[in-house]
Amino acid sequence: MLTRREFIRNSLTILGSMSLGACLKQDIFKEKFMELSEEEKKRFLMRLEERYERRYGIKFSVKDTPPLEGVVFGYALDLSRCIGCRRCVYACVRENNQSRDIPIQWIRVLRIKKEHFAPSDFESAEHYYNPEKVPEDGYMYIPVQCQQCESPPCVKVCPTKATWKEPDGIVVIDYEWCIGCRCCMAACPYWARRFNWKEPYIPKEEINPDTHYYGNRPRMRGVVEKCTFCIQRTRNGRYPACVEACPTGARKFGNLLDPESEVRYILDNFKVFRLKAELNTEPRFFYFFSLG
Amino acid sequence: MKLLSEALIFFKGLSDVTFRGGRVFYIWMSILTFFILTGALAYIYQLRAGLIITNMRDQVSWGFYVSNFTFLVGIAAAAVLLIIPAYLYSFKPIKRIVIYGELLAISAVITALLFIFVDFGRPERFWHAIPFIGTANFPYSILTWDMLVLNAYLGLNLLIVLYVGCNTYFGKEPDKHILMPLILISIPLAVAVHTVTAFVYNGLSARPFWNASILAPRFLASAFCSGPSLLIIIFHVLKRFIGFKIEDRAIGKLAEIAAYAMAINIFLMLSEVYKEYYSKTIHLISLKYLYEGLGSHKGFVLPIRISLLLNVLGLLLFLIPKTRRKTPTLIAGAVSMFIGIWLEKGMGLVVPGFIPSPLGEVYEYSPSVYEILIALGVFSTGAMLYTLSLRAAVSLETGKLRHPGAPPPVIEKEGLTAGDIMTKEVIAVLPETSVDEIAGLLINHRISGIPVVDNERRVLGIVSESDIIYREIHRDPEILERLGGIVLPAYRQTLKRGLTAGEIMTSPPVTAHVNTTLRELVELVVDKRIKRIIIVDKEGRLCGIVSRIDIVKAIERLHP
Repeated sequence: MLTRREFIRNSLTILGSMSLGACLKQDIFKEKFMELSEEEKKRFLMRLEERYERRYGIKFSVKDTPPLEGVVFGYALDLSRCIGCRRCVYACVRENNQSRDIPIQWIRVLRIKKEHFAPSDFESAEHYYNPEKVPEDGYMYIPVQCQQCESPPCVKVCPTKATWKEPDGIVVIDYEWCIGCRCCMAACPYWARRFNWKEPYIPKEEINPDTHYYGNRPRMRGVVEKCTFCIQRTRNGRYPACVEACPTGARKFGNLLDPESEVRYILDNFKVFRLKAELNTEPRFFYFFSLG
Repeated sequence: MKLLSEALIFFKGLSDVTFRGGRVFYIWMSILTFFILTGALAYIYQLRAGLIITNMRDQVSWGFYVSNFTFLVGIAAAAVLLIIPAYLYSFKPIKRIVIYGELLAISAVITALLFIFVDFGRPERFWHAIPFIGTANFPYSILTWDMLVLNAYLGLNLLIVLYVGCNTYFGKEPDKHILMPLILISIPLAVAVHTVTAFVYNGLSARPFWNASILAPRFLASAFCSGPSLLIIIFHVLKRFIGFKIEDRAIGKLAEIAAYAMAINIFLMLSEVYKEYYSKTIHLISLKYLYEGLGSHKGFVLPIRISLLLNVLGLLLFLIPKTRRKTPTLIAGAVSMFIGIWLEKGMGLVVPGFIPSPLGEVYEYSPSVYEILIALGVFSTGAMLYTLSLRAAVSLETGKLRHPGAPPPVIEKEGLTAGDIMTKEVIAVLPETSVDEIAGLLINHRISGIPVVDNERRVLGIVSESDIIYREIHRDPEILERLGGIVLPAYRQTLKRGLTAGEIMTSPPVTAHVNTTLRELVELVVDKRIKRIIIVDKEGRLCGIVSRIDIVKAIERLHP
């Protein structure tokens, strides 16, 4: 026969352990997002939206738009038109909710003396420069971001399969699955990956609430992130933010499988090249010179 | 119930022998506890604030933690060094210390894994990397391989140690048919843990500094230096503080292995330096940063030069028999090799791989205070683990920790030493003594060998009957002497005049200290297949001689 006190104690213990178990299941021992059922995915995305709404006080949308059929994205960058203004860098930061206080930038625009240019060697490249006016005489600029490789070395080394290449060619990261070992950062020949060394900070008024699960949704401390060709935009038929921001039209983007696309026109009519081609990573990011 | 009480007895005994000790033990444990606690506090801070409290950044994304991980995997592979000579060449003095090497391997693997753990940005998700539980990227990710191999190595060594430990506890001899296969598997596994760790870096084409085939061989060579060095230091500490008995020959063998390994390590390093500097491709730049610095960025130049110096110093101290046999110089060699490899392979291998970044940016890295505190905490955890397991092992070996029902340990009759049984009146000759004279002495005194000493009675060598006979048979000068004869005709004169003791003696001779036990003397005679051992004092001066017949007489005395 149970006394009332025992009954209360026992039920509290059971309740407590059940809720602890639920917490553990929800927060620590949750399953990988891609392995969830459609129903569970929806619920999880809703939970994320609520969490972000509470944090930033603004209506959020976190989508998991799948890749489009018959689409493989490609990028072409006209080095003869790049003036080194770095508007793409800042447009990218705004669009993709990159941390502001310890700044994370997915695009790095290198400045290099014209005579030192080589597609494999950036030893003489400058990273930090602040001229009155761009472009500068004698210099050229090379913007570098994730090259969305056909055989990405970063994916190969990831010990948890937290990063992979999607059918449309975009290399994505599941921020919930990344353990922050940073193998991928050591493996990337283009220095395209960034780590959240601390909890990222984005001012409330600058947050972009239109997000994708594998893209620009707010990240957490201790995970890796990088350019996703603006997956939240491009899977819905829009251009990446960097393409839209470029004042000289140096950046071109499109479907490599569509013979009518601008990217295909460039591949067919210009001599294009890829960075560090000797490493056989086969980037889907092409560089070319349209002038001179 | 019986099992429970048995377990209680065991754990009571275990805690008695492991947690109770002298003043030095308590001081040592307090120091370790202090560092573990400060490390834990720093780690809690890192968990809350993020890895921002380290000095790692996107440009140099691995630092002190991963460097120490790499270094420790090398130490963990050290167990294999003891096993190979002990079992394959049945070099007995090392056999006894194999278990201490394996314990070191266990502590080192655990410490290495802890370093990986503190480096994770999201440590609570570590299980994502475990096969079947998480989503291990097998077989593509080398880090996955590394975790698997390290854990297998850890498990196997634990198994061996527990098996031997249990048997000793119950006073039984471990079954060779079970033990030997386990030990034999652990040899390739030890090579594997270090090779796979090298492959984690080696496979990254983005980092030319690591992407050189010489990396894995260099890893192994340097592990063969740092591992034995650490063991030499540990054994001397044990000898000093708990009267741990270990033969100098075993330690000498460790130093010898380390010396050869260091020679190979330096050779491999120079091969790499040559290739990069002579071909002068764009891949030279990281190496240049390491050895010369890039412009004003010279963070690694001093440490790497110190490490080079220490490595060469360690090599010389271990290579020269005189310095290898003396404790202070031996310890100096071990310490300099240990620090040298730590600088070279720990920091000097991981960080320069990131400098410059693949886009040519130079970010200089040195660990932050928090990184150092956390690393100290991790190292202290490993040291504490090793200290405690070592105490348990020593107690098991000496019979202090033993099942009450087990037969008492066989106490070796070590009462008799070389000093007790040796012949004290020994005829010795100077190196200038002629062979004819020696032959006369041998015949007149009915002895078969005669020590050669200098003016202060320090032993230089020994001339035995067989040395003289050998000379008689091989009257023809050997190739080198023949060459000498051609170049210097005067040399032929000495040949004709007859040889001296100094020229035909076996040098260095097999010697033993006056305190050497009878058992060790027997082993020496059997191992080296010699008829007599020269007994010397601390300064290497002749005290006496123990011949086979002396040993037989002594045994007769013990077992009448």
